[in-house]
Amino acid sequence: MNQSDSIKTLRLSGELEISRKDEIRATLRRGGDDRAILLDLSEVTYADSVALTELLRFCVDAQRSEVPVALVVQTPQFARIVQYAGLANAFRTFDDRDAAFTYLAESVES
Amino acid sequence: MTRRPPAALLATLGFLLLLVILLVAGALLVRSILTESFANAERIRAARIVLSNVLRAQLDEETGVRGYAVAHDPLLLEPYYQGRASLPMLLSRVKSVSQTLQLNEAMPLISDAVETNRRWLRQDLPLLYSRKRGHVLELRGKVLIDRFRADVHGIDIALARREVLGDVRAQRAIVWANFFALAAVLAVAAAAALYTVQEYRLGMRLERERDNAERQRRRSAEMRAAYEAEKRIADTLQEAFAARSLPELPTLRLSAAYVAATEEAKVGGDWYDALPLSQDRVMLAIGDVTGHGIEAAVAMNKARQMLIGCALVDPTPGHVLARVNAELVAERSPMITAVAGLVDARTREFRYASAGHPAPVLLEPGRPARFLEVGSLPLGVNADTQYATHRVASAPGALLVLYTDGMIEHSHDVLQGETILLEAVESAAERAVEDPAKAIRDAIFSRYQISDDAAILAIRFLDAAVAAASEKDALVGTA
Repeated sequence: MNQSDSIKTLRLSGELEISRKDEIRATLRRGGDDRAILLDLSEVTYADSVALTELLRFCVDAQRSEVPVALVVQTPQFARIVQYAGLANAFRTFDDRDAAFTYLAESVES
Repeated sequence: MTRRPPAALLATLGFLLLLVILLVAGALLVRSILTESFANAERIRAARIVLSNVLRAQLDEETGVRGYAVAHDPLLLEPYYQGRASLPMLLSRVKSVSQTLQLNEAMPLISDAVETNRRWLRQDLPLLYSRKRGHVLELRGKVLIDRFRADVHGIDIALARREVLGDVRAQRAIVWANFFALAAVLAVAAAAALYTVQEYRLGMRLERERDNAERQRRRSAEMRAAYEAEKRIADTLQEAFAARSLPELPTLRLSAAYVAATEEAKVGGDWYDALPLSQDRVMLAIGDVTGHGIEAAVAMNKARQMLIGCALVDPTPGHVLARVNAELVAERSPMITAVAGLVDARTREFRYASAGHPAPVLLEPGRPARFLEVGSLPLGVNADTQYATHRVASAPGALLVLYTDGMIEHSHDVLQGETILLEAVESAAERAVEDPAKAIRDAIFSRYQISDDAAILAIRFLDAAVAAASEKDALVGTA
């Protein structure tokens, strides 16, 4: 198995709101049994508290399961939300997808 | 509005109309067959009478010839003359009737009878005038007469057959007439039954639809009532929580404002608290529970009580949030964002900790408004989360603003929302308004639509001399 096979990429985009709760859950559920997860939020511009709860619980569960998770955040609006919501301090966030991938690959190797 | 007749009635009427047309057509056909049958029967009966007259006329001819041949009395020739005169006319009538009846098998027999009679007359005429009895001629005459009679008999049989055929057709027509009558009765009965069944089904369907509509109406009314009741309770709880009176301290001026969401479903769990711990210290808290309605309101109440309870034991903001977080995680509470703060009026120090909450704003005289440092996970997510206590020293005249996300997320662009908030804070400070919280709220929501609940708590640090003068004025005013 090569490294890219062991890293699952989950992608969400746009404004994450309560109305998209099921879609967000379904997307995050696809990363169930993988060795490392790259959560690509590079095109997310906003997340309300319900969406943030889903993201946070997913990251916390992955951390408890010792599955490395890397978040890719690029839009400044969402980066600010991620910053004050504590995601940036509690989990690994990157503004570059390659850097996130490299981090996960190293995590998987070790 | 014109009401259209029901489809069942139209279908039944259409069926009945079709049936009437078929019945009328059938009846006319039967009537035509019967009429023709009776007319033909009459013609056949008349033809058979004529045929018997033909035989009688031929017999008169024969009798007259034979009588005259024996007695030579001219008087005996009278029947012969009568028969010879009437026979062609009688045979002509038979022929006419046969043509009318299209009795093709009789036509050659009629022609043969006419010819046979003619031959017999030609043969017997010399016998009359020769006054001799020719044995050979007599024998030939007998043969011709037999042939004539056989022809007549054949014609009679053909007429009889046609009569029987006509009777059969008439009987069939009568059977068909009976069948049509029976079919009409059955069809009318079927149409009536069909209409009744359709009416019954229609009635049942209408009744079901009425029942469904009524059930739907009741369900909607019940849901509406339940929703309104929930909203009323949530509103009441929210207002009660938000409208708590603020403490008054000599060197601090606290003001607060709350904005309820215009959308009913968005009534949420925003709150603020200001609890005096001593003459100089005030514990501040502001928070927002994820979700809306009663559940959010109840979770908010629980979190508030926990925050106050923990602050009374150990007011260090980071410790307060850590203890509340551990309890909320254990209780599987909804996620809550909050800022817990401790203001010391004497030293003008503000210590605070944040749990996933938007950053407080501090505006110090002569400096632009700025966001304070934040960045820990919300409450109720991870029991192991540690919350750092930050320390900020402010100056006399400084304005500290705590708020919930509704104040900066109205356009879903947080950076834009934060810029507008900073402008509103600076404007309120610059104008030295009496109630900065309301001024900031009004400045924001006069330009942007309210999409979510929002709360704001503003703390102004007063200069000691200004505070003393203000207190003196108040005392004078009271006296």
